[in-house]
Amino acid sequence: MAASGQESPGPLPEPTGHFDPRAKLVVYLLGFGLILLATRPLELLPLLAVLVLGISLWGHWREWWRIMRLLWATLLLFAVVVGLGDGPEAAVGAVLRLLALITASVLFFATTPPEELGESLLTSGLSPRAVFLLEGTLRFAPTMALLVREVREAQESRGIRLDGFYLLRNGSALLAPLLADVMRFADDLAEALETRGFGGPYRTPLAEYRFRARDWALVLGMLAATATATLLILSLE
Amino acid sequence: MAAALIACRGVGYRYPATDRLALRDLDFSVEPGEFVALAGASGSGKSTLCRLLNGLIPHLHGGEVGGALTVAAADPRATPPHRMSRAVGLLLQRPDAQCLATTVARDIAFGPACQGQDRATIARRVREVVEWLDIGHLLERAPHTLSGGEQQRVALAGVLALQPRLLVLDEPFAFLDAASASQLRELLRRLHATGVTLLVAEHRLSEIAADADRLLVLHRGRLVADGPPTEVLAGDVAGWGLEPPQPLPAPPPLSTEATEPVVEWDGVWCERDGRSVLRGASLRSAAGEIVALLGANGAGKSTLLRHGNGLLRCQRGVVRIVGRPVGRRPVAELARDVGLVMQQPARMLFAPTVRAELAAGPRALRRYDPDWCARLSERFGLDPLLDRSPQLLSAGEQRRVAIAAVLAGRPRALLLDEPTAGQDARARATLRALLRDCAADGLAITLATHDLGWAYSLCQRWAVLAEGRIAADADPAAVLAQPEVLGRARLSTLAVAA
Repeated sequence: MAASGQESPGPLPEPTGHFDPRAKLVVYLLGFGLILLATRPLELLPLLAVLVLGISLWGHWREWWRIMRLLWATLLLFAVVVGLGDGPEAAVGAVLRLLALITASVLFFATTPPEELGESLLTSGLSPRAVFLLEGTLRFAPTMALLVREVREAQESRGIRLDGFYLLRNGSALLAPLLADVMRFADDLAEALETRGFGGPYRTPLAEYRFRARDWALVLGMLAATATATLLILSLE
Repeated sequence: MAAALIACRGVGYRYPATDRLALRDLDFSVEPGEFVALAGASGSGKSTLCRLLNGLIPHLHGGEVGGALTVAAADPRATPPHRMSRAVGLLLQRPDAQCLATTVARDIAFGPACQGQDRATIARRVREVVEWLDIGHLLERAPHTLSGGEQQRVALAGVLALQPRLLVLDEPFAFLDAASASQLRELLRRLHATGVTLLVAEHRLSEIAADADRLLVLHRGRLVADGPPTEVLAGDVAGWGLEPPQPLPAPPPLSTEATEPVVEWDGVWCERDGRSVLRGASLRSAAGEIVALLGANGAGKSTLLRHGNGLLRCQRGVVRIVGRPVGRRPVAELARDVGLVMQQPARMLFAPTVRAELAAGPRALRRYDPDWCARLSERFGLDPLLDRSPQLLSAGEQRRVAIAAVLAGRPRALLLDEPTAGQDARARATLRALLRDCAADGLAITLATHDLGWAYSLCQRWAVLAEGRIAADADPAAVLAQPEVLGRARLSTLAVAA
């Protein structure tokens, strides 16, 4: 099972980032926890500012904007519901918190290719099955989107509308074939996995992932920052 | 002499929760280095046998396996598939589900990595198969962005990277155009020459009969023939649902005089993902005519069909239906005049019974006519299936239900995308007869297909799509006399001239 690590990787992919994906994962999880701990706008605004700075520095505005375009209506609805129950300050806090969580996630996934994260976790001893869950979600999301589009087009070609209000009325025309096809796809996928040797206890990571000094520095720095911020938040209460 | 790579003695198999045996009393062996073709109608047990050889049956599917079976010196019943995969490679029918990783390079490396090979070995194997299959240009691509033919080559690369001694392929030609099929044939010849044992299950016998050493025929789960392909195919194989490669009947004469077009594509342009798919394509489909739309994988056949019923809108040019431009009219409204049956008919079927399926479309269009639905049901042989779930029917039956369900809305034109993909000889013959009947009733039919032999025996006109335009539009004999056009469209006349 040992990797040689000395030979040219040739056609195999190499890690792309400056930091080890696991170090970035630790930073992301600590940041996520901190955002969950903060509740008031005064606490959340600096956190959001740091994240927005990160988005700017790494140039991921396009990805951030694409997600926000999908979620702005949900954020607005969330603000109204919280505002009606707990007042305007709570509503602003809730929206800022959600915004910070989304921004942190966009920043993490935009800078950490999930396949690299999966392989680095494989290096740390995570099971191949758990890693494939992560990779498979990424790999097959576009396939599923394509499937939804094809079923929708197939039904509209028969005169069965699925836009707007019609989706409620004719929803079964979308859901039934979709469900049947997804189940068939899952069967085919299970067969393909077994056929390709998946199911054994091992899987060699395709690249070498090592926790270097800079990764330790990043993690320790984030730990220190989180501890300080936590103390500040607790002292404000 | 080396021991047989596959030894089957009295092998039978029953799927879980069924009484019927899917395979029964199979007795045959395959020696190392043989090239064996496996034929049989849909449901004859070909795919079941393929899955039995690498242990997917019974490990994944369950059921009861009887008899004595040895494959590559192992009993697949006692050896899990991931261990069988070291000796037995299996290429399944659906290429999109077999590309498992986010890039082609990662996908090819997936199998050796799962075997625990070191990185240097994985890199060497990836390099070898990439060179073999000439897919170096695809390495960084995401599998979902590839064409069906490319996906299949990548899936094959993933299986070959495991360096199997026995390679089993389940209908590898089903979704390939002529050029891709020719490449695959050449690849199989080269693999055979290197000593890999091949077992290829296939409906399109013209693709492999000439190369295979032996032809096994399954009929209702039994092995009914085993011998050199020429000898087996010289017998009466029609009773087993096979169609031997043979000269096809002459195309029928034009059944209609020149009539007004029902669907008219006039100078249609379409750019998708930064690529010009259609570049001024023009085609007409008139009442009573059956037009075959031919071209390579990715030539734009499906794109052109989807412009015909409004699923795609012209970026330049115009599509007219019964003389009226499509404009911004909704697809569901255009469905009154033009019906489209997609390549995967199961994606069109949602009702609990075939009866309800036939009624759903016309009800949505507010033109439900029970008498017409009953006539369609009778014509398409659906009467015995009316109370069954469409999702549980065979692929051929689903195709008939999907076409009948579209015709139930009484469109004037019918567009079909790859209607014979994955269909056995019997289903293809049935479909040919049905479409002829529909055309005789005045329906304008346009079908995109790779199945040139079938198209030759059915269609009065062939329209060849190459480089985004209709490069030829004439009767089949006239098109076949234009080798330059056929070459540009990557069409092979093998199936027609056999």
